[in-house]
Amino acid sequence: MTTTGATIEVQAVSRWYGNVVAVNDVSFEVYPGVTGILGPNGAGKTTLLSMMCGLLRPSQGHVRVLGEEVVGNVCLYSRVGIMLEHDALYSFMTGRSFVQLAAKLQGVDDPDAVDWAIQTVNLQDAQDRPTGTYSRGMRQRIRLAATIVHDPEVLVLDEPLNGTDPRQRVEFADFVGRMSSAGKTVLISSHILEEVETLADRILLVVSGKLAAAGNHHAIREKLNERPFQVRIVAAKQREMAAALLGLPEVESIRLEHDGIDVTTRNLADLQRSTPRLAQDIGSRLYRLEPLDDSLESVFSYVVQR
Amino acid sequence: MIAALFWLSLRQAASPKRLLLLSIVALLPVGLAALLVSLDEADQSGIVTGGFEPLLVSLILPLVVMVLASSAFGNEVEDRTLSLLTTKPVPRWSLVLAKFIGTIAVAGPIMVGVSVVLISLAPDRESGVIAAAAAGSAIGVVVYAAVFTWAGLVTTRALAFGLVYVLLWEALITSFLSGTRYLSVRSYMIGVMHGMEGSPFSENLAIGMTTALVASGVVTALFFLLSVRRLSTMDVP
Repeated sequence: MTTTGATIEVQAVSRWYGNVVAVNDVSFEVYPGVTGILGPNGAGKTTLLSMMCGLLRPSQGHVRVLGEEVVGNVCLYSRVGIMLEHDALYSFMTGRSFVQLAAKLQGVDDPDAVDWAIQTVNLQDAQDRPTGTYSRGMRQRIRLAATIVHDPEVLVLDEPLNGTDPRQRVEFADFVGRMSSAGKTVLISSHILEEVETLADRILLVVSGKLAAAGNHHAIREKLNERPFQVRIVAAKQREMAAALLGLPEVESIRLEHDGIDVTTRNLADLQRSTPRLAQDIGSRLYRLEPLDDSLESVFSYVVQR
Repeated sequence: MIAALFWLSLRQAASPKRLLLLSIVALLPVGLAALLVSLDEADQSGIVTGGFEPLLVSLILPLVVMVLASSAFGNEVEDRTLSLLTTKPVPRWSLVLAKFIGTIAVAGPIMVGVSVVLISLAPDRESGVIAAAAAGSAIGVVVYAAVFTWAGLVTTRALAFGLVYVLLWEALITSFLSGTRYLSVRSYMIGVMHGMEGSPFSENLAIGMTTALVASGVVTALFFLLSVRRLSTMDVP
């Protein structure tokens, strides 16, 4: 650990592939507890995590984990557990032998470590089946077991909830909570805000290879909700509806299209409440009220542009 | 730790389908030689110069080792499982060693076995010639394993690279330009075999036995170290 108490230090890190900049001058610190890296697909999360894991060399800048340089430092892996996004397993191995291999390569002496890891991910019943027969969720869990078998101080998990069902998500949240309570550092990446929000104490928002924001989930959520929303309203009496909508304080602008009314608002909740009442007042049937740009990418882009 | 890595490498290299396919390819010259012997058309010298050297030593042995060695790391890169190994506190040399020995453990018995069977088909077979063929093949497996393990790490087209290398360099160029034999694994193999038994192995393709042994050791060590260096510095997908 460093003098600041940070377990992971990312200092002015950039990574580019030819002319493409995947990560651009990113700096942050990660402390014990759960930290989430949030960003849309292609934002540079995996590149960033790969550099923190020593799998990619930064084109510029430094990454230190537990006070040590990561690149070329194989001894550090005995204190760090890494589970990357891609679904890599040796399909000819059973779940148990896969975890046993990880334990051997980690130099784990405790004979109960493999049982503990498999029990932690609740996969005892399927441990003797070849991993090639596992479902996506089971594959994620056995990979997690192999990642934690040496009881690491730092856990780096790239999109760990991919393919898991709601019950497994609850179990995973419980596991992450236990790790955090034990004073370990857990770094989780995801492109789903709700996922990170429920797990992480602190969120790092990464967009287009840059660190767009950092803070607790309230701060990030606030930032994301500040943006104007585009909503399409389809009603039977388009013109009357458009005129009535203009009178609402939450409506910023309106554009009448041939197949609906495009409304810009900064208060989506109020608009959703007012519109049905408005339609009723003017005697119009309301067919649809749908957000036009609620993709994560558009939300993130807004935050970055600010 | 090395034992676990070796077991993994062996299991990956020795998939039943692959073993069957490689064994069929390796046994092609045996079938050909058996046919000629049954027709009274081949003696030991004919089998060595007509089948063993041009087919087994020049073509089939490097191709079989190439398929196994280039996929040792190549398949890990392709399947994205390499990070499972490189994110463990395991020295890079031990990863390369496990893959290298895994390849030899699978290719060695096949190629040495086929060489022994092939020469043994001759009615006038001599035990010294059989031993020399076995030793030469074993050396070839070791050196090619080192070269192609490295190729599997530096390119995703290791098989194409290997084919060009085997067909162009080993089989063609070194046959005509005598100076290039010091850089030819085939010449190392024939050099050892010729050094051990002389005739019937081709003198014109051979280099001195001591030179062949030293060169084999140097090339193996060089490509082993290059593989370790590559694995230590490469971006792992």
